[in-house]
Amino acid sequence: MRAAYPDIAGHVERDGVNLGYEVFGDGEPAVLLLPTWTIIHSRFWKMQVPYLARHYQVITYDGPGNGRSDQVTDPERYSADSYALDAEAVLQACGVERAIVVGLSLGAAYGARLAALRPQMATALVMIGPSIPLTPPSKEREATFQRFLQSPGENPQAWEKYNLAYWHSNYQDFVEFFFSQCFSEPHSTKPIEDSVGWATETGPEILEVEALTSPPNDPWEEIVSRLDCPTLVIHGTKDRISPYARGVRAAELSGGELLTMDGSGHIPNVRDPVKVNLALRDFVERVAS
Amino acid sequence: MRATLPTRAGFVTNEGVEISYEVYENNGPTLVMIPPSPITHSRIYKAQIPFLSRHFRVVTFDGRGNGRSGRATGRHQHTRAKNVSDILAVLEATRTDKAILVAHCHANWWAIDVASSHPERIDGLVAIEPGVPYLGTSHQHWIDSGERWDEVLEDPRGWELFNRDVIVNDLHSWVSFFFDAQLVEKHSTKQFEDAVGWALETTGEILADAEEAQELDPPSRQDFYDQVNSLDVPVLVIHGDQDVCQHVDKGIELAGASGGDLVIIEGGGHLSLARDPVKVNRAINRFVETKRGTRMQTETWTRGLGRPKRALYLSSPIGLGHARRDLAIVEELATIEPDLQVDWLAQDPVTRVLQTAGATIHPASEWLASESGHITSEASGHELHCFQALRRMDEILLANFMVFQEVVEDGNYDLIVGDEAWDVDHFWHENPELKRGSHVWMTDFVGYLPMPEGGDHEAHLTADYNAEMIEHIARYPRIRDRAIFVGNADDIYPETFGPDLPKIRDWTEDHFDFSGYITGFSPPGPDEIESLRDELGFSSDEKVCIVTVGGSGVGQDLLEKVIASFPIAKTALPELRMIAVAGPRIDPDSLPKHPDLEVHGYVDRLYRHLSVCDLAIVQGGLTTTMELTAASRPFLYFPLKNHFEQNYHVRYRLDQYGAGTAMDYSATEPDALAAAITAELGRDVIYRPVESDGAQRAARLIAELI
Repeated sequence: MRAAYPDIAGHVERDGVNLGYEVFGDGEPAVLLLPTWTIIHSRFWKMQVPYLARHYQVITYDGPGNGRSDQVTDPERYSADSYALDAEAVLQACGVERAIVVGLSLGAAYGARLAALRPQMATALVMIGPSIPLTPPSKEREATFQRFLQSPGENPQAWEKYNLAYWHSNYQDFVEFFFSQCFSEPHSTKPIEDSVGWATETGPEILEVEALTSPPNDPWEEIVSRLDCPTLVIHGTKDRISPYARGVRAAELSGGELLTMDGSGHIPNVRDPVKVNLALRDFVERVAS
Repeated sequence: MRATLPTRAGFVTNEGVEISYEVYENNGPTLVMIPPSPITHSRIYKAQIPFLSRHFRVVTFDGRGNGRSGRATGRHQHTRAKNVSDILAVLEATRTDKAILVAHCHANWWAIDVASSHPERIDGLVAIEPGVPYLGTSHQHWIDSGERWDEVLEDPRGWELFNRDVIVNDLHSWVSFFFDAQLVEKHSTKQFEDAVGWALETTGEILADAEEAQELDPPSRQDFYDQVNSLDVPVLVIHGDQDVCQHVDKGIELAGASGGDLVIIEGGGHLSLARDPVKVNRAINRFVETKRGTRMQTETWTRGLGRPKRALYLSSPIGLGHARRDLAIVEELATIEPDLQVDWLAQDPVTRVLQTAGATIHPASEWLASESGHITSEASGHELHCFQALRRMDEILLANFMVFQEVVEDGNYDLIVGDEAWDVDHFWHENPELKRGSHVWMTDFVGYLPMPEGGDHEAHLTADYNAEMIEHIARYPRIRDRAIFVGNADDIYPETFGPDLPKIRDWTEDHFDFSGYITGFSPPGPDEIESLRDELGFSSDEKVCIVTVGGSGVGQDLLEKVIASFPIAKTALPELRMIAVAGPRIDPDSLPKHPDLEVHGYVDRLYRHLSVCDLAIVQGGLTTTMELTAASRPFLYFPLKNHFEQNYHVRYRLDQYGAGTAMDYSATEPDALAAAITAELGRDVIYRPVESDGAQRAARLIAELI
């Protein structure tokens, strides 16, 4: 059973793609919880929604390719710009003109793009474990990206599993490995099981389209520097997916606040939800007043 | 002693009246504290200022007619317009362009006037127990007594004392009744004394004039409603729901009409700022910080399992004794819990001992107001009225608690150990929702005892303080996770806490664990004495007498009296070598000089010298006398006059050990003292042995909580 069920659930169509959204609560202001890499869907906000919805109007939706949204194979729909336009469409469908926008990982990049394109709509931005290339990736991961389209070899280990052919041949194993890296904290079995489950609602075909979308040449330094709204960055020091230094840099460039989660991994909103919830509440209260 | 002093003070002459102001400079917004004069003055905010001035710039002033401001007489001098004009004059004189006004009682009427007439200068209003016209309910006793204001009453009682004739001719009766009625909270003796004292600094004539002046230029109902409804600043109202001066409805309606925040103090009366200062201070701070919207810039949060074990240790700075026993306990704790990190929140003179020992002193320690300085300021000659000194330390204890609370809210401490950290124990019981970590309370005496000179009134006060402590523990057993009595049950003075209160020993045995005494060092064994004497330069053909008064700065008179006896004793016993130790807070150069007499300032590890001396002359403090007891040295001790702990608790305990010779300072002349020195010097003594495992036992009791 879920801890909170939406007051409104629906779909909005934008340029032929149906996006499933949910609205919880009716407080002020509105808080938009963005999708992230489409390997998981909006349920990764499950630890935030019941709490925040007691205070604010909370809107979540599934990005293209997972959950209740269409399994889109058009590469264009996986660009940051497209995500920003999806978010705008969802807010419009909910009759919301302004929202505080929260994004995890790639979702932070989508949020930054939304805030840049629609500054009047995104009144504040929270970036959790931002996967925005403001600093280089870890060496391990950089090597992985280069081998992505090559043969995975006989018995790929660790990040070697981040490989297109391996996704197709052994998706489940890749996903289990990937989330074991996301949740670097000890005793994370349940968050890993949850995430693996959500990942099975999409599949390697979709992830392939997303991955091969021409890498964005977005000028991220400039986008983040020019953010005009209050920002909060939350980043774990044990983040193995997007280095902690990126969060520090994102806070510096945006002139925002930084909450360092000492010992936390890439998805602290799931693994350390109390602290993240309290920090979100504190931030929303301050920027809304 | 005040907990904090202003950066600068001055006067501004406004419409012919000198208005006294004080400024506590700081960054951030300015808070202007407006007292409801003339019944009181700026000291009504004594519990707020030390805390708020650490965070903001604070301006206070005395309203016309009280404090250091002019005693303007005549009704026309106390109108609303005059008081409003004073506030504006203080803003000008202190170069305050923008202010958040903090007002109590009827001063809110003036503050609202300022905020609505000068919105460009006012950033907010904190209205505490606001006394404002038209809003809410007026208590019937004001209406009834107001009708007979001008009559001369036969034997007026109760609210009838609110009467021109009474106030002019018998101000004390009126203000005593009034503040007794206002302080609905139990155990408010200190707040009562303060409030009555400040009220008596004005005159009955002025107070009566000021009451009548309220009728001279009141706003119309409509004007006042318009003012409140159009207030364009954030408002916070704080109101005790048992307020019998200003009905709580007034606060509720003011918050409603101004769109302000409202904090109701349930069970609180008219003086929440004095009686529940922790809650009031935090509410004001939160209001101002929220308005600033700048709380979090960067924060690091460490996952629960990733945190080191941390303890915050508080060691009472009154005397030097606590520091060493606490270091001994921490040393034992380290053998049980090697990974425990210990920070010390401490002040001089404790910090001297800690620095020598290489302990980690929390940087917030620098914000602590000086407790030992206060004790020194309270001492006079060889007298320290320790109970009253503790009562008068109320604002310092509160100021230090506010520092402490910020430290524990930031520090992820698993354990708080307070060795006679009165502020922590008291204010956590008063504000139990603020407790963090496990709390260990340690003390070497339980129970305030009245001195005979204080008579019935002092007996009433000590019993009231004891009763409050007993009620605290009964209601909130969760605040003290462990209470450790540094000593044994037999050491406890055989008295009750007061009329109808339990016996101290029975209650203490029910509520404490006993560690035995903790000396913090092992006295030298019989075969080690000679080598230690050699090391310290005590030769075998001399008899060493050490005179010491501890670390508190109280003791100049005793040192001088002993020094006066020195030539007489030296003549009688040429082998006498006297060493006087002034301690860290007395200037050795201020003492009389004498050939052959040695005078030192602070001596590191003085207990080593004491442990091999031939005689010691000391005050009646527990630490030093017990060190001498443990080392089996003969000693003369002079309890400070009116010091209940030294005269009752310590003396009783020493009697249990058969140790020391108690002396009466005022009755002992230098000749008699010299005779006592001659009789005691080098005397063989046999005392009951002092346990040597106290620190270990205390550490074990503490470690169970980690």
